[in-house]
Amino acid sequence: MTNPVAPAKHRHKASNRLLRSALGGACLLACLAPSAWLPPAGRAQGNTGTARLPYVYTRWKQFTVKDGLPNDHIFAVKADGPRVWVGTEDGLACIDKATGEIRKWQEKDGLPWRAVTGIDVNPKTGDVWLALFGGGLARFSGGRFDHWHQLNSGLVNDVVYAVAIENDNVWAATTAGASRFNTITGEWTIFTEKNAPMEEIWNYGVTYNDGKVYLAIWGSGVLEFDVATQKWKEYIDPDGEMEIDLYRDDGIVHVITTGVSYIEKVLWVSTYFGTCRYDGRHWRGFYNKEGGPPSDFTNNLKARSANEAWFCTDKGLGVLADFPSDTWIQYTAGPRPPAGKAVVKRGLEVLETVELEVGPPHSFIICADLDGNDAWIGTSKGLGWAIGEGYYPGLRERAPHRTAAARR
Amino acid sequence: MRVKRKRLFLRVWLVPGLLAVAAAVRPQPAERHPYYVGARVCGSCHDGEGMGHGYSLWLLSGHARAYAVLSRPEAREIARLSGITQEPQASPVCLGCHATAAEAEKWEKDPTFFTGDGVECEKCHGPGGEYKDAEVMKDRKAAMAAGLRMPTPRDCLQCHAVKGSHVAVHHRPQLDMAKAWEMIAHPLPDAPRFSSPAVNARESSPSRGPRYAGVESCAQCHDGPQKGFQFSRWRLTPHARAYAVLATPAAYDISRQNGSSLPPQEDPACLKCHTTAGGSKAEARLPSYGPAEGVGCEACHGAGSEYSPEAVMLDRPAAYAAGLQRNPKATCASCHEKAHGKPFDQESAWAKIEHPAGPVQAAAQAPYKNPLRMAFSPDGRKLYVTCEAAGSVVVVDAAARRKEAEIPVGGQPNDVAFSPGGDRAFVTNRLDDTVTVIDVRAGRAVATIPVGDEPHGIRTDAAGTHLYVLNTLEDSVSVIDTATGAETKRLSASRGPWAAALSPDGRRLLVTNCLSRFVEFRAPSLSEITVLDPQRGVVTDRWLVPGANYLQGIAWHPSGEFAFFTLLRTKNVVPMTRVVQGWTITNGLGIAWKDGRVNQVLLDEPNLYFPDPTDVAFTPDGTRALVTSSGSDRVAVIDVPKLLSMLRSAAPEDLESVFPNHLGKAPEFVIRHIPTGNNPRGVVVAPDGKVAFTANCLDDSLTVIDLDRLEAAGRIDLGGPKEISKVRLGERLFHSARITFQRQFSCHSCHPDGHINGLAFDIEPDGIGVSPVDNRTLRGILDTAPFKWEGTNPSLAHECGPRLAVFFTRIQPFTPDQLSALVEYISSIPRPPNRYRPVGADLTEAQRRGREIFYRTMTNTGEVIPEGNRCYICHSGPMYTDRRTHNVGTQMQYDRTGEFETPHLNNIYDSAPYLHNGIARTLEEIWTRFNPHDRHGVTNDMTKDQLNDLIEFLKTL
Repeated sequence: MTNPVAPAKHRHKASNRLLRSALGGACLLACLAPSAWLPPAGRAQGNTGTARLPYVYTRWKQFTVKDGLPNDHIFAVKADGPRVWVGTEDGLACIDKATGEIRKWQEKDGLPWRAVTGIDVNPKTGDVWLALFGGGLARFSGGRFDHWHQLNSGLVNDVVYAVAIENDNVWAATTAGASRFNTITGEWTIFTEKNAPMEEIWNYGVTYNDGKVYLAIWGSGVLEFDVATQKWKEYIDPDGEMEIDLYRDDGIVHVITTGVSYIEKVLWVSTYFGTCRYDGRHWRGFYNKEGGPPSDFTNNLKARSANEAWFCTDKGLGVLADFPSDTWIQYTAGPRPPAGKAVVKRGLEVLETVELEVGPPHSFIICADLDGNDAWIGTSKGLGWAIGEGYYPGLRERAPHRTAAARR
Repeated sequence: MRVKRKRLFLRVWLVPGLLAVAAAVRPQPAERHPYYVGARVCGSCHDGEGMGHGYSLWLLSGHARAYAVLSRPEAREIARLSGITQEPQASPVCLGCHATAAEAEKWEKDPTFFTGDGVECEKCHGPGGEYKDAEVMKDRKAAMAAGLRMPTPRDCLQCHAVKGSHVAVHHRPQLDMAKAWEMIAHPLPDAPRFSSPAVNARESSPSRGPRYAGVESCAQCHDGPQKGFQFSRWRLTPHARAYAVLATPAAYDISRQNGSSLPPQEDPACLKCHTTAGGSKAEARLPSYGPAEGVGCEACHGAGSEYSPEAVMLDRPAAYAAGLQRNPKATCASCHEKAHGKPFDQESAWAKIEHPAGPVQAAAQAPYKNPLRMAFSPDGRKLYVTCEAAGSVVVVDAAARRKEAEIPVGGQPNDVAFSPGGDRAFVTNRLDDTVTVIDVRAGRAVATIPVGDEPHGIRTDAAGTHLYVLNTLEDSVSVIDTATGAETKRLSASRGPWAAALSPDGRRLLVTNCLSRFVEFRAPSLSEITVLDPQRGVVTDRWLVPGANYLQGIAWHPSGEFAFFTLLRTKNVVPMTRVVQGWTITNGLGIAWKDGRVNQVLLDEPNLYFPDPTDVAFTPDGTRALVTSSGSDRVAVIDVPKLLSMLRSAAPEDLESVFPNHLGKAPEFVIRHIPTGNNPRGVVVAPDGKVAFTANCLDDSLTVIDLDRLEAAGRIDLGGPKEISKVRLGERLFHSARITFQRQFSCHSCHPDGHINGLAFDIEPDGIGVSPVDNRTLRGILDTAPFKWEGTNPSLAHECGPRLAVFFTRIQPFTPDQLSALVEYISSIPRPPNRYRPVGADLTEAQRRGREIFYRTMTNTGEVIPEGNRCYICHSGPMYTDRRTHNVGTQMQYDRTGEFETPHLNNIYDSAPYLHNGIARTLEEIWTRFNPHDRHGVTNDMTKDQLNDLIEFLKTL
């Protein structure tokens, strides 16, 4: 006859084994699930109670050709005080934020080239600099367009993806290298593999902040130019593999970089295969499969701080709202425009889902700019204005947004 | 069989393989950087009987004195006629021909190189650093590969072509090149041998006591205008050739007569008097000393090693104790008394070699004033007047109507503005690219602020916290923080920002721009008024002024509703034969409304044109405006309400198309013309509205205008010479419209500040509609003959003489005296310094690379560029022109020829557009758009960064 109950000794051993297994499993889980060892941030308690959650942009406005934009393919957006400059596939627009009035310029109005892929505003002079895709560089000042291109200037190439102002210099990221134009002396300098650690010369993005110019280069990672020392530094994927990130967080996630943003001594990078962050010592990669951005195919990015960045992917806007807790918000459009959705996630866990009556105009996000508490999002079907009324950085204890069903 | 194949294999592959390996491991030749070593290094071998006395022959030639002659008064006169404002020995243009390696950087010259040697060996034979070694030199091919050049007489023409400035002073006939070539010939003997121990001797051994340091050591301090050009004066004396003359046949004769069988340059008996240290031991000479200097400073003043340091030199007793001779005069007799049977008059000889150390006195005549613009102090008591030629600001007591002070400022002061509190005045200096800050109470300059290129207008904002300075040749506006004197930003204006006016409410600063924007080829002008917000320091708008150029003076109406500005309407797209509706240039007034509308009216009337309207001012009540006509010496008084009424009642089409071209409208609102002094430029109205003042540039005076009676009521003399010099006469002719048909325009109308107006004209000698030509600068042109783009006018006299009358002015030409004066004035128009490479500065990396491109002889793919297609062949000499015509493939439709005169390249960066018809808006376009077949230099193989570097270098010329 078998005894269904093991003797106490065995029971003790068995329960010890079980306990050890449970503990071991818990340890294993703790190692594998980063969110488990991060400071507790709270979890949404369904639609009741409070939790530490990020700010979610629930108020959006959309702008399309119906509102006066020259074209719905928004390639560039730049907030400039009371106005917002918008670069599209067929023209430049300026939105007066107070009145909503839109002025636009196309080639017939003097815009030197239809496709505006990058915009920056000189903070000293107020001049608006435009990167023209196939048309070089333009400056819009006092209503006049001035035009620099391969034939009439030292610009290296007319296919200009991005532009950035660095003191009295204007940097242009082109398909054949980077050009720097000194607006005082008129000198043009070209940076390619001849005089910079640029393995590929297809420059996708350029940005300047805090004494550093960064170039995002297809196939060459990120280059940093120190304005004070005039020295270059490169950031290349240490894995050297094009298709996989062999060792995570060992460097830039991929060398096909599309955008770069530097703020508070933190470098944020977008690539076609994920995004990453570098604080000067540690790299951190972000991937869709870990629940972060809506997609790894990232067209561009804009960082607000060392802990918050906005990533423009082909499947939505991914906002890393709080880096320490790895809390993301994925904004997508649809299913019925102009509606949208915001999903707050930590890892693969959904903390909150917010239905937006008006959301981003489309999920193919091309560009973004942050404007105080607001954000401007360029998509393939219009411009979105995320109004940050009551915005707060990081996390805050609050009740989750009620879903429409819950509200009904 | 197998063995045979193996052997065959070895033969076929082994040897080439070994050779390839050998090539790979052979040390590659080091990158060569030719550098200058100086004539003494050449002379260390190339002298003495065995080497044909090459070095001595050079010392005896004018070339060896080429630098020293720049110390003479004649050189200054020549410089003046070339528009050169620097001391000739410091001017790159003068040194370009009178010295070697003038354009080289410091690192390209060895310590043995000496600029004071003038035109020495390397000027013609190339920098010798790589070929100087005897082993290389003996192999002519190797030497030429290392940089040795063998020049031809054609190369000499880079410097020796006839120059108008030199002819005007020296009156010498054109150089006979064949004879000159013979004179400087210095062939090597058939079997050359080193035989000049005197030159070659460089013993240096420790020795106590004074040693001979050499004349170059003395020249480090004892030259230049502050030191009376002492070294240069010596260099021009026979003492400097005393050693070299020992190479002449006469010296050999004397030596033989004295019973010597030694070559004179090796004979101690000769060297004792013909060299500085001839009678001394070798250890008494430093390596820096060379006997070839002849009788140098130390021959009379004593061996200088101990007294040459400045601290010793400045202490005369200490200098004597260190070996400086107390009585150098006593040394003459020992060599000169009964030397070779020649009499010696010591006193007269002494007078010839005198070289006092004091500064050279400036030219005897004081400069004219050339008053340009004025500003009232805020309290209305003083009037500050910028005086361009004098480099000063004259302070006038407005009530007493007399000059009370003159404050030196920078070069060519242009405009002046007061701080709102009146404690400071700010003056732009267009020659120096600076702003002078004047302490009004102290009456002197207290600070200088660097700004951009050729600043003209200047204004402060209403609070006086910022200055706005118009950088005319840079198309920008510098914004200066008045508290710190630092430039905070630079704003983009249009082409040639000229003057500025602050609105009464302080919210707008309007800036006129003298040149039209770039427009399509042969399209009418389109000018701009740039609108700034002075409170934010940004450009907010740009108002267009179609069909106009030369927007200059500007003033706001007291109401703040509109501003007046002066303008020309130059009809450069129609041939100059068309007289209807105003012929070539009409002159007018623009009305810029505060809402951005711009109207234009003419101040011309049929047969009474108003040439060169320059400045405008309103009376305080706004009922009158005064406009100066600098080309006809008068002021127009405008009835403002009448003008406004005319405008307001006109139909839009009239405003747009009729009024800007209507010669009959001016009488409706111009109520008086008041004669002034010569060439009135600026005009201001006193704060009480009772009087106005005009600055009469070319008679150094102000005219006082009584605004009640509307007539001239007095004249204020600003000083300046009363005699009208030839140049002054020429300047007056240049700025006067009296010479033109209907007195319509002056030379100044197309050449403001002696420079460009940026337009291309259709002048009909080549046919109507044929060969439009770009307007060119007059700065520094005297030595760049021939003139005209086709190079058909051999001289300025020809350019400005009958041809001008036939095709431009259409009435009687200048008289011969007038023409001569005009040419002299044009020749002396100052040329500004090059902003991209200050004198003596090294090149930047990009400029250096660009220089390599400019002088390259091979393409990127290793093909030889034909000599006639190399940049430096046509663009040669210090002015970078060979003064010949060439066909560079730029002939276009409607051009009757493709042969054009090579333009000079000095300061080429500030004279856009380019090419003969002005079709290239930037330097880049010359090659990116208009050189498809590599006829204007071989450029299509260049990478973009190479072209950028070339442009950077061209900007330094």
